[in-house]
Amino acid sequence: MTARSMETGVSAAGRAVGTQGVWARIWQQDGPGYLFLLPWFIGFFGLTVGPMLTSLYLSFTNFDLLTTPDWIGASNYVRMFTADPKFAAAMRVTFFFVLFSVPLKLAFALGVAMLLNRGLKGLPLYRAIFYLPSLIGASVAIAILWRQLFSGDGLVNQFLANFGIDGPSWISNPRYSLWTLIILSIWQFGSPMIIFLAGLRQIPQDMYEAASLDGASKWRQFWKITLPLLTPVVFFNAIVQTIEAFKSFTPAFVISGGTGQPINSTLFYTLYLYQEAFGFFRMGYASALAWFLLVMIAAFTAFSFLTSKYWVHYDD
Amino acid sequence: MTIRLDRRHFLMGSSALIAAGAAGLRPAFAQGNNLRLIFWGGQDRADRTYKVADLYAEGGGAQIDGEFLAWNDYWTKLATQVAGGNAPNIIQMDYRYIVEYATRGAIRPLDQFVGGPLQLGDFDQDQLEGGKVGGQLFGISLGANSVAVLVNETAFEEVGVAPPNRDSTYDDYMAMGEAFNSANIRGGIKAISDGSYTEPMLDNWLRQQGLSLYTADGQLGFGEEEMVEWFRMWQGLREAGVCVSAEDQALDTGAMESTMVIMGKSATMPSNSNQLVAYQSLSQDSLTITNYPRIEPGAGGGHYRKPSMFFSVGGDEANAQAAAEFISFFVNDPDAAQVLGVERGIPCSAAVREGLAPTLDEKSQIALNFVANLGDLLGPLPPPPPPKAGEIDASVLRVIGQEVAFGARSPEDGGKAFVTEATALLTGA
Repeated sequence: MTARSMETGVSAAGRAVGTQGVWARIWQQDGPGYLFLLPWFIGFFGLTVGPMLTSLYLSFTNFDLLTTPDWIGASNYVRMFTADPKFAAAMRVTFFFVLFSVPLKLAFALGVAMLLNRGLKGLPLYRAIFYLPSLIGASVAIAILWRQLFSGDGLVNQFLANFGIDGPSWISNPRYSLWTLIILSIWQFGSPMIIFLAGLRQIPQDMYEAASLDGASKWRQFWKITLPLLTPVVFFNAIVQTIEAFKSFTPAFVISGGTGQPINSTLFYTLYLYQEAFGFFRMGYASALAWFLLVMIAAFTAFSFLTSKYWVHYDD
Repeated sequence: MTIRLDRRHFLMGSSALIAAGAAGLRPAFAQGNNLRLIFWGGQDRADRTYKVADLYAEGGGAQIDGEFLAWNDYWTKLATQVAGGNAPNIIQMDYRYIVEYATRGAIRPLDQFVGGPLQLGDFDQDQLEGGKVGGQLFGISLGANSVAVLVNETAFEEVGVAPPNRDSTYDDYMAMGEAFNSANIRGGIKAISDGSYTEPMLDNWLRQQGLSLYTADGQLGFGEEEMVEWFRMWQGLREAGVCVSAEDQALDTGAMESTMVIMGKSATMPSNSNQLVAYQSLSQDSLTITNYPRIEPGAGGGHYRKPSMFFSVGGDEANAQAAAEFISFFVNDPDAAQVLGVERGIPCSAAVREGLAPTLDEKSQIALNFVANLGDLLGPLPPPPPPKAGEIDASVLRVIGQEVAFGARSPEDGGKAFVTEATALLTGA
């Protein structure tokens, strides 16, 4: 738009006639703002919204990557729930992972945060060290390292051998393989820890002083003061970590070589989706899987928000 | 060479780009005469391939821009590029996928170039046939190979038992396994890896009985009875400690480094003749190859000379001829052959083979002689597998094989489940 039309816009707005004047006024007020947002808008619509809508369309087709997709209605969604035992297997693995990794990770992160909150010397250093696994955690290198640690003659079993324990090959035994991934996830406790630490700092010290004067034990102080006042932070961490856990992909992909082996025991939902899309050329079905994952995550988040009023205390 | 642009030139360049884009033209440097080549393999294969590409460019041919990935990632990337209308000009293709890509029009028939830019005068007839789909030529074989058992000779020497040979049967492997167990060297290395969910090994075992994995019309070529017997045989080998444990075998993710012989868990494993060279580069021990075990003395016909991989032509129509010219150079030029060796299998041109044979190193000689002298082990080339074969291999055979290996299913139950699930995939949409 040229400067000239902006001028006319102003005069038109001054007389308050016609819709053109309103648009011109909006432009004059917010135009530069939108202009600065433009790069983000292009990215958001071109790279996020566009592909998402395309995948929604594809989820109702039999797209196989190589030929033109045909509309097949809701067949993909029907197949998911009625005729796909592997889908059920992937759901089991994913829910097991989410149900165990998230609470354990949060508990561990809170524990470490409380230790660090006791006025330690060199706190920034410890904080940085504990945060490190979160930075490199989802990388391929760590997943490969995990394979080495938890294989039959890996470091973990060498350590156990000191106590006379002859450990199995954790990573390739269907009974334990998922647990090695849960441990990997717990190990990346850095980011919830930092947030817990900030939350702990917010709790007024005088509450603890008053409680100790009344003779409350440390244990009681934790349950009656620390935890209730920390619930908003717990709530935030729980939501973020659960979404992360649902979306977890790289470790399982690297550790099982993209197969979800042994016996589908590490077949995460996202890994299954990837297999269907690129391994077996069922992009339409994989798109349906992706949309169902989105619905699951949204439903979980909505449920958390609905129940939050019963256990999250915002007291200011 | 570095290209430096100042800001003025950069701006001029980009506005020219935009103008060209608006006019529906692609800028010359993005298209040019460069051909894009994509292949799967390791660093060794890449080095050889790029060296041939350099030779070709030095001789006045087109520039080749190459890209290579590991097998598992390769098919993902290729499918994505083809789906995006961005297919490379030269595509390394496998026997398993060629029908799928050809029937969907993702690769081009090459018949029009044969005799002109694409010289195939002294090409092996069976290898030429292997690259045809519906009577049209879609792939040029880059080498013949065959399945083979990879053998760690050093380990056999240490145990003091003769390594498997041409006549060895599954029963002989049982005896070798017992020798390995009583010798108990290298932390209990086993005689063989667990091949119960290795598709080519099952195929070979079936072919020796006159059956096949898949029929020409894309159905299972065997029944529940055979599958149960197959799982039972491996159960026996596993229980006797002749093959590696289920846990160890599950460490194998398909990468060469995670295979049982390279990890030192077993002294032999199912493999391919052309892979001896690559595996040797990963091992301190002396490796060799021999045929898959026979089901009984004198039984043969399990092996076949498989086109190990093809070059196919995709991408722009305009560049198809240039791509065919490069492929012709790749399979016929004697200097290129020296660089490539037998890393992709035994060359299919008789002249190239004769020129190459005397110059090969010891391991390559073994691979060449193995494929040339299959004799009574050799059977006919099976039809290309049905489109669902990849899925049956990855998500039915592997999963049920592991369930049987870990004891989650009995061999009887596993055999039944395999036939049911595989048939459902083959007959379904």
